[in-house]
Amino acid sequence: MEEMDFEVKELVYRGEGDTGDFISLDPERCDGCGLCAKVCSAGLWSLKEGKARLAPRYRELCLECAACWEICAREAIDFSYPAGGTGVTIRYG
Amino acid sequence: MEKWDVVVVGAGPGGSYAAKTAAELGLKTVFLERGKYPGEKNSSGAGLGTRWWRDFPEIMGELPKLPSYRRIDMIVIKVVDEENRLRLVQGTTGSDRDGSRWSGSLDKGMAGASIYRADLDPLIADLAVAAGAELREATLATGVIMEGGVVRGVVTEKGERLAAEVVIAADGAMSTMARSAGVRNRWGGGCTLVPQVDFACDEEKLDAVVGNAEWCWFGPFNGAYQVNFRESFHLGAGKWLRPDWDTRPQDMLKRVMEIPAFRKFCKVVEARPREYQAHLLPWLKKPPKTFAGGMMLVGDAGGFPCPLDGEGIWHACMSGRIAAETAAWAISRGDVSERALAEYERRWKASPLGLEHSFGSEFVEIWDHSIFDPELMKRLIQLILEMSEIHPFSVLFDWSDDHVSCLNQHIEHLFDLLPEFSQFGKRYIKPLNAAISPRVVRRALLQAKVRMPALRLLPDEAYLKALSLLNKRLGERLKGTAGR
Repeated sequence: MEEMDFEVKELVYRGEGDTGDFISLDPERCDGCGLCAKVCSAGLWSLKEGKARLAPRYRELCLECAACWEICAREAIDFSYPAGGTGVTIRYG
Repeated sequence: MEKWDVVVVGAGPGGSYAAKTAAELGLKTVFLERGKYPGEKNSSGAGLGTRWWRDFPEIMGELPKLPSYRRIDMIVIKVVDEENRLRLVQGTTGSDRDGSRWSGSLDKGMAGASIYRADLDPLIADLAVAAGAELREATLATGVIMEGGVVRGVVTEKGERLAAEVVIAADGAMSTMARSAGVRNRWGGGCTLVPQVDFACDEEKLDAVVGNAEWCWFGPFNGAYQVNFRESFHLGAGKWLRPDWDTRPQDMLKRVMEIPAFRKFCKVVEARPREYQAHLLPWLKKPPKTFAGGMMLVGDAGGFPCPLDGEGIWHACMSGRIAAETAAWAISRGDVSERALAEYERRWKASPLGLEHSFGSEFVEIWDHSIFDPELMKRLIQLILEMSEIHPFSVLFDWSDDHVSCLNQHIEHLFDLLPEFSQFGKRYIKPLNAAISPRVVRRALLQAKVRMPALRLLPDEAYLKALSLLNKRLGERLKGTAGR
């Protein structure tokens, strides 16, 4: 049977407009557990020198699910939302 | 500063329904939506159950006109084994005991409608606007205005300050309002992450293959749901966000997409993945604190989704309605303090919403100790398959041996499997006995009596009294049912 697969980034739609910054990391609090990287569908988090690191292009890739914020027991991740009227548009949900 | 009676944050189903109710009660109401329009930032397409016709008929009457609508008459559970083979297909549908009860055409049980939130949310928001509430789109509320420990309004990203007698926070699982007012922060283990893919497909072929049903896939992996729309469907899964998280969210769906029966289905209906989304879904034993001075939390922001199946839209609309009614009551009394708004919790606890959550702990435990444990799922599936064999057609038509031997083999296997699950049943299913109403227990006991000739002449109350004396716990349950 033919392959059926998908790439997350090809299946996400976005509006125009500057989202502004809406995720930040407090490196003092981060203990490098890496859970933020595991729960992110868009692969925006990685570990560098024992600390989480957020992809610089996260504004154009984030799905706005906030899983990284919820999973972080050390509350090192602050998550707000993109500016009103910007960011992900869910067409078929 | 603008002055409102009620500021609602969020125009999802809960926020819009709260705004509609508040406006209908004569309150000056504004509701804010961070998306360009309601439904843009929705979380997951929905299956709506028959209780919707009872509670929100004004919405249900409009649904069939919307593009994504599909009528749902049953749910079909598909169980696959470790080798990805489809082993059991079981339909769950309600008894047609009283078909006219709510909708005139729908039975009890798992029947209802599928609808995209992209369709549903604008519909409810329109009802709120028609009732007189003002909708502000593309408006992100960033925090609450606090005075003396009481919420007095909200601030938007542009620095606008909206004063309110009461703020209704319907801003989703991450509720900026709840955090800003200091009601709560993270859910801390009580929240799931739900990845979901939308597939476009051929409408007629979906009609032929699926018809008016939702599908669920279970196997030695996390289960997945398949919500079927007019010419598309969603495949979604979920799991609690806890430190044992071990998979990329999309891989939970890709695991299901490996099942040959699923792939074949996709091929036949010409399905192609069209959109991916991921959302937080609070899945709690019971909602934590749902109010503060000057503020009430509704829908996901309040932690209301169903503890048994995670459905949250009915819960959002119900809590939105109750919050708006409580706001009107509190404003008319001139007291919106925390103490006054505790009335909100009393009211939702006394509603069907509260009844559902009164056994939240038991419901959550069942899931926590079954579907999210792949090892246990493997054996549970064996049990389910074996139990489904104890069925007149299956047992008689087992062709592996002569039919008498087959029957005995099945019974033997079942008894091998049962002890393993007796503990599960005892710990997680048995507590639900307490959810059965004393009235129903009483009726069942009296029906049993009729079938026992020796007892037939004994008066009902004397018979129940005797049973109560023999079984103390039963006596407790039957207390207060005499003469009903």
